[in-house]
Amino acid sequence: MLKNHFKISIRNLWKNKTLSLLNLIGLSIGISSVLTLLFSVYAYYTADEYIPEKDKIVYLKTILKDGNNYREVPYPLLDQLVENSTEVVAGTHMHGWGNIWLEFEGRDFQKETSYANPEFFEVFELPLKYGDAKTALKEKYSVVLTNKVSQQIFGDINPVGKTLIGADTLNLKVTGVIEPISPYSSFRLGVLLPNTILEDNPIFKAQTNWSNSFSPIFLKLRANADITKLENQVDQLLKANYDDIATIADIKVMSFEAMRTNAIPVVDIIITSSIAAAFFILFIILVNLLNLNTSTMFSRTKTIAVRKVLGSTKRSLIIQYCIENGILVFTSILLSGFLFLSINLPRLNDTFGPEFGQISFDFLEDYPVVIGIILIGILSTLLVSVFPSLRFVKIPVTMGIKGKLQHIKHNFIWRNSFIILQFSIAILCISIAIILNTQIGYMKNADLGFQRENILVGHIDLDYKNIDVAQSKFNALLNTLESSPYVKSVSTSQSIPSDYYFNYSTYSDPVQNTDVRMRRSYADDSYLKTLEVPIIKGRHFDRNLDKADDHPAIINEAALKAFGWESIEGKRMKFKGNEESGYPIVGVVKDFHYQDLQNAVEPLVHIFRDRKRLEAHRFLTVRVQEGHEAAIENILTSTFNSIDSRKTYVQSRLADKVSGQYLLIEGILQTVSITAILAIFISSLGLFGLISFSAKRKVKEIGVRKVLGSSVSNIVILLSKDYIILVGIATLIAFPIAWYTMNLWLDSFAYSITIKWWMFGLAAFIALAITSLTLGLRAIRSAMANPVDSLKAE
Amino acid sequence: MLLELNHIYKWVKSGGRRVFLLNDLSLKIDEGEFLSLMGPSGSGKSTLLNVISMLDAFEEGEYYFDSEAVHDLSSKRKTGIFNENIGFIFQAYHLLDDLTVYENIETPLLYKKIKSSERKALVADMLDRFNIVGKKDLFPHQLSGGQQQLVGIARALIIKPKLILADEPTGNLNSAQSDDIMGLFKKLNQEGVTIIQATHSESNAGYGTRIVNLLDGSINKN
Ligand SMILES: Nc1ncnc2c1ncn2[C@@H]1O[C@H](COP(=O)(O)OP(=O)(O)O)[C@@H](O)[C@H]1O
Ligand SMILES: [Mg+2]
Repeated sequence: MLKNHFKISIRNLWKNKTLSLLNLIGLSIGISSVLTLLFSVYAYYTADEYIPEKDKIVYLKTILKDGNNYREVPYPLLDQLVENSTEVVAGTHMHGWGNIWLEFEGRDFQKETSYANPEFFEVFELPLKYGDAKTALKEKYSVVLTNKVSQQIFGDINPVGKTLIGADTLNLKVTGVIEPISPYSSFRLGVLLPNTILEDNPIFKAQTNWSNSFSPIFLKLRANADITKLENQVDQLLKANYDDIATIADIKVMSFEAMRTNAIPVVDIIITSSIAAAFFILFIILVNLLNLNTSTMFSRTKTIAVRKVLGSTKRSLIIQYCIENGILVFTSILLSGFLFLSINLPRLNDTFGPEFGQISFDFLEDYPVVIGIILIGILSTLLVSVFPSLRFVKIPVTMGIKGKLQHIKHNFIWRNSFIILQFSIAILCISIAIILNTQIGYMKNADLGFQRENILVGHIDLDYKNIDVAQSKFNALLNTLESSPYVKSVSTSQSIPSDYYFNYSTYSDPVQNTDVRMRRSYADDSYLKTLEVPIIKGRHFDRNLDKADDHPAIINEAALKAFGWESIEGKRMKFKGNEESGYPIVGVVKDFHYQDLQNAVEPLVHIFRDRKRLEAHRFLTVRVQEGHEAAIENILTSTFNSIDSRKTYVQSRLADKVSGQYLLIEGILQTVSITAILAIFISSLGLFGLISFSAKRKVKEIGVRKVLGSSVSNIVILLSKDYIILVGIATLIAFPIAWYTMNLWLDSFAYSITIKWWMFGLAAFIALAITSLTLGLRAIRSAMANPVDSLKAE
Repeated sequence: MLLELNHIYKWVKSGGRRVFLLNDLSLKIDEGEFLSLMGPSGSGKSTLLNVISMLDAFEEGEYYFDSEAVHDLSSKRKTGIFNENIGFIFQAYHLLDDLTVYENIETPLLYKKIKSSERKALVADMLDRFNIVGKKDLFPHQLSGGQQQLVGIARALIIKPKLILADEPTGNLNSAQSDDIMGLFKKLNQEGVTIIQATHSESNAGYGTRIVNLLDGSINKN
């Protein structure tokens, strides 16, 4: 019997080739995107699975009075907490301090380096592939590697006990290798060193006091720990030790499990919208199948009746129909698996890989996704087969056999609501894509307060092997550039727009005693000139007047406002808590967007630093005469390639770096756009199928109408009018939802567009154009048919 | 006695009034009979066949099939009795378009869950008997009307029914084809199968052992 069901199913599918093909295409593409979205969500949620007892791990979040917050807390807080808090079992710092150079058998490696307390593995009981977690970081000169780094350095062997030369001088013994970590994990580990190794570093030592916050801390709590109690203990320690308590509103205990979303807030949006998109697409596919299946059932009533006369039960008829749909669904799942592995996954990695890391599919580990999709397949099959057929197998044989269906009402309420919902989703996605695209365009093209065109950027912190040789070559390069007729201006700096450090410090006006927390960067005298940032008070740096030892400073308007100054005449600012006389303020620049436009312009200070000190700057910026970029690029590249360094020289253009800030959000746009295209495409496929049915059913009516003198366009309208109305209703539903959600999201951008009517107009136009085209194509074919043939056909 | 209908009424409501399709109809049919139902179009022949087949219900009266009281049976049981005992032959053949001749004949056996080897033997027998072995892989639309009806009969006979119900089985056929089919029915009847056919044609009715005339849903005693 089962064999027979399969045979009949395949014949039925083959008989309705066009429809089956439409369904197969829609299903495969749809399911492959559902698979992709589910897989990335799955990869995200399971990324931290390997960390035992992660629900007991917390970190601290400093919240400032001005609303800003960060994960770093004063360094000595950790020891105090571990010692005094009743709630804490173990704790560790984890911070960067420059990525260390490691040498093994003549080859150099530099990987993401983190420094942590020897107790790190008591907090994070990460599984080690090699070595013993209990002792791994106890020795001062030990190093723990991730599996990936270990393989890059040592290949497939167990490296425990081998020695790496660190920073040319330290003998580091490899004590452990951590099992592979998902790229979506909260950890960005590469090389892990005990922070005891930094004890000999005077600069580090100078920072490990209560007034500096540069390291996050992670605490393992006892079971059923009292968070409020812990927060109070933190509070007391702060009050007792921290002298800058005025600026800090609160230090909050945050769960480690929520750290990823707190770190990159967009992640939350990406994950929720992925789930929503998967759900939407699945819904649209299922609606298509439901509606199309219901339509086909009408042409099957006779067959059903005959089979019942021949002895078939209702159940057997439904099973056969399930098998028919099951074949369709599971063939599509196979195809979509193929699409997923060959197209979607590589694309996903292209889009989000640079930000989140590459993910890969491994059947042994990711089988829950496969099981999930098979379950979805089974449920979908049951849904789209049982519901439409249930009504039809109940038709009495004596009616069914005549093909008379007067008591089966053509109840279109469900079908029409589904169509409206499908198109609402599609139009919602289209509107979101249009609005987001406009916002990105706005951010990319906005006046940033500096001139980004024709500026070349060289990354010059390359860890030179011989700094003296490098410096002399660099001096020669600067001379060449300055004398070139094509170079308008040259500068060196610690930061460039799109790449400013997060190094905030609190500065104060020694006279008025006002405190301002701001970012600081070093720049030479021509950096702000090269960017063409306008000066609004005072003057630019001047290499003849300014001396680096005096720390002359140029602040931005935001900083001026924050200090509450009218003029900068005689103004100085100093590190809070320091007794020095402070830095003279020589000028104020107009606020320029040194970060992306998702963030407001915050107070910023540039401090003068001599141009020529190669090792003191990270960037070389050159403003070039339009059309001569390539020539100057060649000079830069060949110079730096001739200097012996550990890092490779990277050359870019400022305009690209500025646009590059929006890669992640453009990734989101891409996902939304693909979802929108899929949604409208699959929904239109559904309409195409439905109109094909009504056209077939109405062949005779169309024939008669044509004989009676109806025009082709009248018939096209007759066939497609109802569907167009449905799509129209869908636009009306989609717009307020799109307006509301996008307004909510745009609020999170410091600088955003306002949503305009034309955006919805465009979305409606796209949706209606695509559906009219789909419907029109099919309707015209029917309307053009020779009425004599159509009348004969019956 | 194979079946007995006592005072059967079947009606439909139209504008608040009852329209009788079967009106106080009583009929007894013995095993081995070959009954011809005659009557003008609309007299209720098809309705009566549907009631006898239990595919359709009636409003009042008693119906005994093989001494089971059909009027008291659940619809499931009725379907069971129908599937076991009755073969139905239609005027419009109603072959399954997507199945070959062979598969059409085989289908009732599939629903009876008969083993594959036995199925093969039974279908082969049937093909042989109706001389359509050469046509077994053709689809219905590749056959003439007479051939299609042959397949329809073979399909009805494959479950070895006690009773064959045929609703104007030759209505779509010419007279030569019609005579062939009637000859076949006569032969089947002689082999012991009870047959009830609805027909317009006097000559077809002549093949039967008894004629019942219907008029407006009642038996016309003239
Ligand atoms: N479901 C129904 N509703 C209303 N009238 C019906 C129904 N089925 C049959 N009839 C009517 O009952 C009468 C008998 O029909 P039928 O049994 O098909 O006649 P025959 O087969 O003798 O030509 C006809 O007048 C027909 O129109
Ligand atoms: Mg009839």
